[in-house]
Amino acid sequence: MDRRDFIKKGGAVVAGATGVLSLPVLNSCTAETAQAESKLAGKKWMVIDLTRCREDCTECMDACRQENNVAFHGDPRWDVHWIRRATLHPKDQSAGLEEKDVLLMCNQCDDPPCAMVCPVQATYKRDDGIVLVDHHRCIGCRYCMIACPYNARFFNWKENPDWPNKEYPRRSHGVAESCHFCAHLIDGGGRPACVEACERSGERALIFGDLLDPQSEVSRLVAGGGAKRIRADLGTQPKVYYLGL
Amino acid sequence: MKRSTVLTEKNRGTWATVFAVIILLPVVLSLVGFVFSRGEDTPEVFLEAADSRWENCVRDAEYMRFRHMDLLKEVRSDVIRDGLKGGITLAGCGDCHHSREQFCDRCHEAASVSLDCWGCHYYLTDSEIEELEGGGE
Repeated sequence: MDRRDFIKKGGAVVAGATGVLSLPVLNSCTAETAQAESKLAGKKWMVIDLTRCREDCTECMDACRQENNVAFHGDPRWDVHWIRRATLHPKDQSAGLEEKDVLLMCNQCDDPPCAMVCPVQATYKRDDGIVLVDHHRCIGCRYCMIACPYNARFFNWKENPDWPNKEYPRRSHGVAESCHFCAHLIDGGGRPACVEACERSGERALIFGDLLDPQSEVSRLVAGGGAKRIRADLGTQPKVYYLGL
Repeated sequence: MKRSTVLTEKNRGTWATVFAVIILLPVVLSLVGFVFSRGEDTPEVFLEAADSRWENCVRDAEYMRFRHMDLLKEVRSDVIRDGLKGGITLAGCGDCHHSREQFCDRCHEAASVSLDCWGCHYYLTDSEIEELEGGGE
């Protein structure tokens, strides 16, 4: 065997061995993907269709306040918003981008930074993927507000003056809170109050459902293309998709 | 000779007595108070006689009297962590025991226990029941 042949055969042997040895690794990779998919099973997603959302409409926000007793003092320093409208200003005017009104809410991350930083495990993710706060445990440190990339968390600086929905508790001052997809309504087989209100108003800009179910409206809208998530690059796996963003 | 107020060999019995009285006075007073006021301050839980549903309480009366706080804490964690899957709720207590003042506040006030529940959770109060009953007529 000359030098040339030795190198050829040796190379083939090394390549074969690498292939065989890497099989378990590849297997575990596919297993991980499957696991990630099963992790998302049974969870809830929301699609916000900005092309249908009217700028002058506040139905979803009002319904949220009515359902969840979200504090409203009429002063931006102390108001709490679970769902709110914000105007996006493009950094670069020359790029042809326009100002845009966007509904912002808790994105119900599947890897929630707020729950990760909570020092008392008051913020946590339920088995069905909903992120919520145990207000009995919350010490009001506001780490979650700093950790949230969506600014979706608010702090109760004052006692809530109103109590429209007596069947649902309000929050005392000194705790942080954010949208929880109306977990209490979902437990009762319902849908979030904002989605119901949006449907009643006839706009149907908020759509709620299971993304993994191919028959659901949510999965059809997302599969239709153009659906974006805000700061999906952060890897927090937000469960709110935007159309027309 | 002037009586010395300084502690000496002779007067140390007196000093010991004075010291013992000062130390024991609060204990004695509270014991006396306890013996003479016995039974007077103990409030009774008010159960609506006309409403027989309280017989179907989530636990028996004896358990609820002494351990209701443990039950509530347990249920609280279950509901918050696993979701509201029916069963026991704080609002459910009010279905039978209409008056928070009679049912909760009386004992807790007597025992100097301050409750955090009602800042966030709603319980119908006496006046509201009157309002409701008045509105229903």
